[in-house]
Amino acid sequence: MAAEAEASVRKRKAGEDADHGSGVDVHVEAVDSATAEPPSTEEIPKSSDDTAFNSNPNPSESFLFEDDYGYSCSCVDDGDIMKQYTDIRAVEAAKIPYLGDKEPLSSLAAEFQSGSPILQEKIKLLGEQYAAIRRTRGDGNCFYRGFMYSYLEHILDAQDKAEVDRVLSNIEQCRKTLQFLGYADFTFEDFFSIFIEQLESVLQGSETSISHEELLKRSRDQSISDYVVMFFRFVTAGEIRRRAEFFEPFVAGLSNMSVNQFVKASVEPMGEESDHVHIIALSDALGVPIRVVYLDRSSCDSSSPTINHHDFIPSSSSSSASDHLTKSRVTLLYRPGHYDILYPN
Amino acid sequence: MQASRARLFKEYKEVQREKGVDPDIQLICDDSNIFKWTALIKGPSETPYEGGVFQLAFAIPEQYPLLPPQVRFLTKIFHPNVHFKTGEICLDILKNAWSPAWTLQSVCRAIIALMSHPEPDSPLNCDSGNLLRSGDVRGYRSMARMYTKLAAMPKKGAESSHTL
Repeated sequence: MAAEAEASVRKRKAGEDADHGSGVDVHVEAVDSATAEPPSTEEIPKSSDDTAFNSNPNPSESFLFEDDYGYSCSCVDDGDIMKQYTDIRAVEAAKIPYLGDKEPLSSLAAEFQSGSPILQEKIKLLGEQYAAIRRTRGDGNCFYRGFMYSYLEHILDAQDKAEVDRVLSNIEQCRKTLQFLGYADFTFEDFFSIFIEQLESVLQGSETSISHEELLKRSRDQSISDYVVMFFRFVTAGEIRRRAEFFEPFVAGLSNMSVNQFVKASVEPMGEESDHVHIIALSDALGVPIRVVYLDRSSCDSSSPTINHHDFIPSSSSSSASDHLTKSRVTLLYRPGHYDILYPN
Repeated sequence: MQASRARLFKEYKEVQREKGVDPDIQLICDDSNIFKWTALIKGPSETPYEGGVFQLAFAIPEQYPLLPPQVRFLTKIFHPNVHFKTGEICLDILKNAWSPAWTLQSVCRAIIALMSHPEPDSPLNCDSGNLLRSGDVRGYRSMARMYTKLAAMPKKGAESSHTL
């Protein structure tokens, strides 16, 4: 089995509704965490617990077996912080759908109107090559989500049947890779079939063909969108592990984990952000070139800033690289921590 | 909902097919509800849980496998990362490190591994964590052993519904 039992505990306990304000004293906090226990604690008479606690002014006297004075449990404390953090993220994320509408680049300029002059200058330069942007939700899946829509939209526009056939054969390879690595088929096959379904339906001329509107609708529908994101995560995970030796130095540069640990912690779980390691792996595995345009404040020469970009060219690409690049390129705009979709002029 | 049902059905078939392959784990699906499972796991050897059989309850969310199953101990256990009263488990793969690559079976294996390798620095059971953190391994082991004997081993004469 792929998922060998590597048990590691993080200082985190999700699923608690405790909403601790700052400055609560120890007693209040302990009562809070007692009442905020998950609803599955039916066998515990909560009210009597509370009374028992309140009637004991010095909890340390009941040291053994009274562990519901949870203030010294770092798991609980960190869990609250993590919960708050994820709550904030959820509120932020809910402001935009998984994928926004196509917006002219001027909307990006408006966003930085009172921002850094370097950025304003760079956005102006960006406008020379790119016409529009489509924002993605900042939920840690933005790279995959942006890739999904950009790629499927490209197939829909170009009606490139040959590209679909090519990528399908790559997907078959990815399936074999995962099987070889010991993943049970049932863990990934549903995700594979959802993506293949989307891929086939953007080609016109069959009963299941879909329009741009339907593609956008599906990309915003969690039951499809998240499954496709997870498909990409499986493909990326398989590619990194298959070529562990190649990826090892990259992984070492990002974390102090082994390649397998990195895949478990930073690729397979939903919501884990992507870096160049993930992009190289996905681009290589599917054979799809990706251009990432960087919009940040870095500049060699502040008087005439330039826009940097990086082209991720699949290593296995059989046709000439330039041919590939003109044919199907996913272009993403990277701002530190986030990817959106860019549309060339 | 439909997707999670389909996935769970595949896991069910896999569990039936692999029955007995892992003698330490027995996964049982509720007769009438595929979203409710229980598991019986054997306490790992060379731990104070050795010889005990521990029951786990799985409640599986509708968005499974995008979201992790909720798992807790039904059998009382003295372990730094298990809540002494609720049986809640502090394990990263059941929280933020979950991925659909895990299965109910591999979750059970992860929990067995956690029983062998407690993480006293992120305790849900502070007393147990404090014993280990203060270096009182003997104290921890004897408490854990006592609760294993009390809660996880068949009592002499009583029906042994917990045997694997």
